[in-house]
Amino acid sequence: MKSKSVHNKWSWLLLVLSAVALLAFGSTRDSGPRTQADRIDAITKVLACPTCSGESVYVSRASGAESIRAEVARQIAGGQQSDDEIIAYIEARFGSRVLLVPRSTGLDSLIWVLPVFVLICAVGTLGFAFRRWKVVGSDSISVEDAQLVERALREDR
Amino acid sequence: MSELSTSRKRVAPIIASVVGALLVAFLWVLVTAEPNTADDADSPLLGQPAPSVVTTTLNDEEFVLANRKGSWVVFNFFNSTCVPCVAEHPELIAFNKRESLAANPAETYTVINDDNDESVRAFFAKNGGDWQKIRDSDGSISVAFGVAKVPETWVIDPNGYVRLRIAGMLTQGLLDDQLAQLKAQFGS
Repeated sequence: MKSKSVHNKWSWLLLVLSAVALLAFGSTRDSGPRTQADRIDAITKVLACPTCSGESVYVSRASGAESIRAEVARQIAGGQQSDDEIIAYIEARFGSRVLLVPRSTGLDSLIWVLPVFVLICAVGTLGFAFRRWKVVGSDSISVEDAQLVERALREDR
Repeated sequence: MSELSTSRKRVAPIIASVVGALLVAFLWVLVTAEPNTADDADSPLLGQPAPSVVTTTLNDEEFVLANRKGSWVVFNFFNSTCVPCVAEHPELIAFNKRESLAANPAETYTVINDDNDESVRAFFAKNGGDWQKIRDSDGSISVAFGVAKVPETWVIDPNGYVRLRIAGMLTQGLLDDQLAQLKAQFGS
């Protein structure tokens, strides 16, 4: 019984590790060299249109968004700036409200950290609660129940 | 069983209080937070050197912002079809008239935003305003200043630093007051 439980634990661990490894590989794998159009699309997808509500520069056809798209294209054509540097240039002009994906530094990092923290706390609390229920269920019985069992055993004898 | 129930009774109110306090704190932050509107006059460029501007005027003359050092420069981002731009125009003319009498008058420039030369010429011929109009055909000046929507008015000091951004329509005397304060603070 015990070896089956250990075997189950290892299977789960293996499954989780495989999932993490596949996700990591899928999200970081190099899909080959990108064209200038790919870079323009990638950058404008993470920039918010300054005059619209909730639209990216990639989607919006507003004048402000068109100007930002043209600027991104110009800087990419210049060949001097990385994607992060171009995004930083736009942010330095319009402020952090132009970023659709919050940065992972400073106060913005709370957006990434808090959900993970809450998830860990929730899973931990659930685990603790399940364990306590199990212990209570297997080890402790009420006095009335104990007397009932004792009486039944006596009568049986 | 009774021990467990007692400990539960003790822990439950504490957990409930902590969760309640967190919710109240969260609501308090939401209620007291300043709204961030598009007309927010704040800008990361304030106090920074002005972006490089090299373009041409409507008269096809070269315009280089760096060459204007020594003068206060007012950039008014404008589009002839924008209603607030049209509405604030008399105030801009009045400001320019008053400023022309000052010891070191600020230079006003209209930055043409997403508009064609003919429409701008026709607008100024009809409504007045004899200052220079500069082209921003590819939108690079608007992006360099982080202009979200017109009208926007920017002030650059004689040393080339951005000192003021007014997002939205100019109200009576607003630009005069702000410029007077800036001249007193940074020297005319």
